[in-house]
Amino acid sequence: MDTFKTLEIKESVFENNNIQADLLRDELKQEKVFLLNLMSSPGSGKTTTLVRTIETLKDEMNIGIMEADIDSDVDAHTIAQTGTRVIQLHTGGMCHLDADMTRQGLSGLNIDKLDLAILENVGNLVCPAEFDTGASKNAMILSVPEGDDKPLKYPLMFSIVDVLLINKIDAIGFFDFDLEAVIHRARKLNPNITIIPISAKTGEGIGEWADWLRNQTRLWNQS
Amino acid sequence: MHELGVVIGVVNKVIQVAESNQLQSVDTIVLQIGQLSSMIPSYIQACYPAAVDGTMLEQTKLEIEILPANAMCKACHQVFNIIENRSQCPHCEGDDWGLLSGKEFIIKEIIAQ
Ligand SMILES: Nc1nc2c(ncn2[C@@H]2O[C@H](COP(=O)(O)OP(=O)(O)OP(=O)(O)O)[C@@H](O)[C@H]2O)c(=O)[nH]1
Ligand SMILES: [Mg+2]
Ligand SMILES: [Zn+2]
Repeated sequence: MDTFKTLEIKESVFENNNIQADLLRDELKQEKVFLLNLMSSPGSGKTTTLVRTIETLKDEMNIGIMEADIDSDVDAHTIAQTGTRVIQLHTGGMCHLDADMTRQGLSGLNIDKLDLAILENVGNLVCPAEFDTGASKNAMILSVPEGDDKPLKYPLMFSIVDVLLINKIDAIGFFDFDLEAVIHRARKLNPNITIIPISAKTGEGIGEWADWLRNQTRLWNQS
Repeated sequence: MHELGVVIGVVNKVIQVAESNQLQSVDTIVLQIGQLSSMIPSYIQACYPAAVDGTMLEQTKLEIEILPANAMCKACHQVFNIIENRSQCPHCEGDDWGLLSGKEFIIKEIIAQ
């Protein structure tokens, strides 16, 4: 007669990626490169915000951008026009980046000359939240037209990010978007989250956002 | 869709455990997936045959247990599901709570001979 036995494993499936991500973070710390992982839904303004950020910071820092897209080069071309180093990562149908893919992207950017690297993750509020890329800090953009209920629908994403940019704030008059409600809902999920309303179109709030980046980069290089 | 890559990771891990425990064959793999996870159980089941194809797990069954997105209300200490209740306690309408479960994606156990 067959005898069956149960072997307990109790191991998170993300364990291997988490180990790779921690390794990468340690290396970036040694190299004094601050890596920001930027996530959002498609079209919330990641690329437009990056262009603004580059314009504001490019005279004080060496910046490199990684554009993750399932299959196109459009965003990488837009970034290249600012004169900043950019690399396109094709995820080949994958809906998120993991630590290994991020490492490959960074090696293509030549990181020993960088102070700030930013990864534009695949446009998606679900999958990227579960895969640690090895970034120093995680950011997300929620744009006004997407609605103020997003923290209720995608709680995991709001709970793992360090900073939330609320973009397209110039258009708030056209939508019934309750800014206070979003702030309240996001803080319930994540009491330490920094929230900055911005408009990548008019430049509103970009100064505060650039200060956050300056400050985080400085702290990263200190400790 | 990210399930296939992740399921291949699960399969590799289980093969490693099976080999180090000198198991002849594995009857069942049991996964636990939280309701807040981006892993969709039916997609996992759908790509599982491709992931085990040609491995020692070809005949192995896959079982998935769903763990609810449960939180405890800090005001009245009742436990409730945050997805079903839109992040608000159905007992006292409080919205200050701590998450108890729902984020996991775990290989719970394997059943083997
Ligand atoms: N009104 C307004 N429009 C904006 C703002 N920021 C971006 N947009 C517009 O929103 C659209 C999408 O912006 P992108 O920067 O391409 O968004 P994205 O998140 O990079 O998009 P994907 O890479 O496709 O996911 C463009 O038409 C932008 O001009 C803003 O602050 N206000
Ligand atoms: Mg873009
Ligand atoms: Zn309550």
